Amino acid sequence: MLRFLEISNDSLFVYYLISNLFNLALLVVAIYQNSLHRHRLASRRPLGLKSSPFTPPISLLVPARNEELCIVANVGSLLRLDYPELEVIVVNDASSDQTLPALRKSFGLHRAPILYVAEIPTAPVTAIYRSLAHPQLLVLDKQSAGCKADAINAGINAASSPYVCVVDADSILEKDSLSRIMAGIISEPERVVAVGGIVRILNGSKVEGAELKEVRLPRTHIEILQVVEYLRAFLVGREAWAAFNLLPIISGAFGIFRRDLLLKIGGFRADAVGEDFDLIVRLHRYLHDHDIDYHINFVADPTCWTEAPSDYRSLARQRARWHKGLLDTLWSARNMLFRKRYGRVGWVILPYMWLFECLAPLLELLGYTTIVLAAVLGCLSQQFFLAFLLFGYAFATLISVGSVLLEEMTYRRYGSWREVAWLLIYCFFEHVPYRQLTMFWRLRGLWEYLRGDLSWHQVKRTGASTSTPASIAE
Amino acid sequence: MASDSSWLRDVGLAWLMARAILFSLLGILLLVGFIVFRRWYRGRYFTRLSRRTVALREQWPDILSGKIPGSAWRLNALDCQIVEDILLDNIEVSDRDQLPAFLACLRNSGLLDLRIREARSADGWKRRLALLALGRTRAPEAVPALVEALESPSEETRAAAVRGLGRISSPQAAVPLLDFLVHEELHVSEHTLKDALLNCCREAPEILVPYLNRTKGRTREVIARILGELASPGLGEELLILAADPLPEVRASAARALAKAQPEISFPVLSTLAMDKEWFVRLRAVIALSSLDHTGRIYVLLRALCDQNRHVRQRAAWTLARMRQGKEEILERVVATQDNYALQAFLSELERCDSLDAALDGLGNIVARVPGAADVEAVAAIVREHFAAPGKATAATVGKR
Repeated sequence: MLRFLEISNDSLFVYYLISNLFNLALLVVAIYQNSLHRHRLASRRPLGLKSSPFTPPISLLVPARNEELCIVANVGSLLRLDYPELEVIVVNDASSDQTLPALRKSFGLHRAPILYVAEIPTAPVTAIYRSLAHPQLLVLDKQSAGCKADAINAGINAASSPYVCVVDADSILEKDSLSRIMAGIISEPERVVAVGGIVRILNGSKVEGAELKEVRLPRTHIEILQVVEYLRAFLVGREAWAAFNLLPIISGAFGIFRRDLLLKIGGFRADAVGEDFDLIVRLHRYLHDHDIDYHINFVADPTCWTEAPSDYRSLARQRARWHKGLLDTLWSARNMLFRKRYGRVGWVILPYMWLFECLAPLLELLGYTTIVLAAVLGCLSQQFFLAFLLFGYAFATLISVGSVLLEEMTYRRYGSWREVAWLLIYCFFEHVPYRQLTMFWRLRGLWEYLRGDLSWHQVKRTGASTSTPASIAE
Repeated sequence: MASDSSWLRDVGLAWLMARAILFSLLGILLLVGFIVFRRWYRGRYFTRLSRRTVALREQWPDILSGKIPGSAWRLNALDCQIVEDILLDNIEVSDRDQLPAFLACLRNSGLLDLRIREARSADGWKRRLALLALGRTRAPEAVPALVEALESPSEETRAAAVRGLGRISSPQAAVPLLDFLVHEELHVSEHTLKDALLNCCREAPEILVPYLNRTKGRTREVIARILGELASPGLGEELLILAADPLPEVRASAARALAKAQPEISFPVLSTLAMDKEWFVRLRAVIALSSLDHTGRIYVLLRALCDQNRHVRQRAAWTLARMRQGKEEILERVVATQDNYALQAFLSELERCDSLDAALDGLGNIVARVPGAADVEAVAAIVREHFAAPGKATAATVGKR
């Protein structure tokens, strides 16, 4: 028993050390990549894309289910985006509320006899609507298949542009975000098959008619902790992984993809719990299987603002669902692990995701258990234990502070000294106790997945993206 | 954490741990300190920048005329940057008459020479920024330095040089770009290159023609695409040759360009291109026909309305629904095609330009007059149901072909 505890504790130490070293390396790469990107931006003018006749068209896909609170204002805001060739396709996924009537009333929708070819099989589309006032707006009304992926797939079928951009109905895109995200494709259109943008937390910011007027930090602890977490995840993790063409995920809230490739891989997997992660892994698989030279990119300046859960219950559900999605995708991609054909994807990112993301809550729980056992049995060196805790905490906090530094060096969305001070203070709480809380929620996700509970629990919305009612098209 | 007998003891773990903690805490302190210092420094810098900008703006007429010599502001890095930014911003929005005064100031102050030297001898980002600044000057003497940078081993530098040449916006800058392109020695993003060529050739698109005749494959497609955007009525005959090109992209560009040529020249060619085997060539031809003032186009558009490709059909419908001729007459011809999808596309477009009600009122008479139009009546009923009561329509009419 003592021997087991000894091995377990040593393994935990090594695991934690490797995890933190990985994160430190990612931070260094991200700082380098960000400074490179800033320099590139200085020599390019993303707004120049707007006036160029060579800018490729984009179809913006907006899956919407029971979004009556925000749908009108948000679609209006999407229609006003600064992009020359834009088609907005809203897919009403059998909403039981006033989503469709609100759209029809506000945008003057009429049924249109448009040919719809279901290249990717989806639940039946019952009607297609066009707007008299906004010719670029198309609304699909479809029966529910019980998942967002199916709604996106219907949008992909209806899209007429070579690129599709998937956006959540409750999210707000910045006006120039499409021009900026397309800059990630236009530099290498033959290689870049998908690009992700950054998703930031909207809670607390001043919004009028689905347009962001002023960026502010949220007010509650749990929301600010999520801001720090998102900064670390996007500005450090995604930026660095993308540098090695190992981006494992493009957020479902904001990403752009080549439509022809999505059709080839059959679109989003309808029975996937985390359809965004699953899609990117399948893209990696398809492109490796067909020996296609490709790059899945991340660009940190196009921004999508989204509402984050503001209460513990909703956050717990969201994190449990994310973890179910993670395990579901990793399990379905298990035959890519350590296969020569899949190169770095099979040898680096997928093992990393298994070890440091998927199994992390289990290993942490195991660690806490063995520490308690070792303490009870009297074989725990208290001095070393404290030192290890302090080291782990300080190292992880260093990474969080590093992500705030990156934000400061690059995009500076939080302008005031007070907000930056709060962000820095919250970096010290991200690893105790927030991390332990998320660990339990993720464990719950694992347990639910193993029990076969793949349900998508609805997250409570406060309507932060529509703080002021919009008068769009009325 | 680990037990006393752990192997980690053997590697001097306490020593390692102590230093790791120290390193992490020091790292946090340094990062926080750096953030605070950077904020403070930036705040101070922007205050100074703003103050100096206001001061230099007040002296602007004297700076521009040379009454205040360049030496008075050039040796101060901040002042130099502010004056250059103001000059370049002015050049960007200036017309032919205003440009010489700004260029004279750039030349007399030595700013232009400074940038040319940087574009030739500096490295990395400094060189790239100098190349872009040179482009923004629109000065002819900047072209040789920009052309030299096209041979740089760095793709970023080559792209900056191409963007710089694009900003010069003169045929003089287009020639080296085209030379490099034709010899396949220019490896930059196609979008960047096309934008640059578009800007440079705007005044004289005819310089593209000899290059087009010398090239094949992708390069030919790129040049044809630029020509498609910039074509003028004077280029008619060259465009006719392109319309018979074996490359479909070139034919599509020819169709695009023919929209701007004389109708008597372009109409017969566009009519042929509207039957091309590639759908995007047909689409381009139909789009070009929509801007052409020729009485014969209605027959071509009616044929395009029955095209197997929905984009071609929709575009033909878009044009037909907006033609000046009587909608009833066109509707009668559409009904006579006996193509339900063509009719649906046309009615849909009529509805979008608010002419549906009038056209539907005349539909009954048309069905009675046109032989073999019985099916059309059924379609019309469905379409009428769609538009009149959208909520009651059934799934049968959507997604079924």
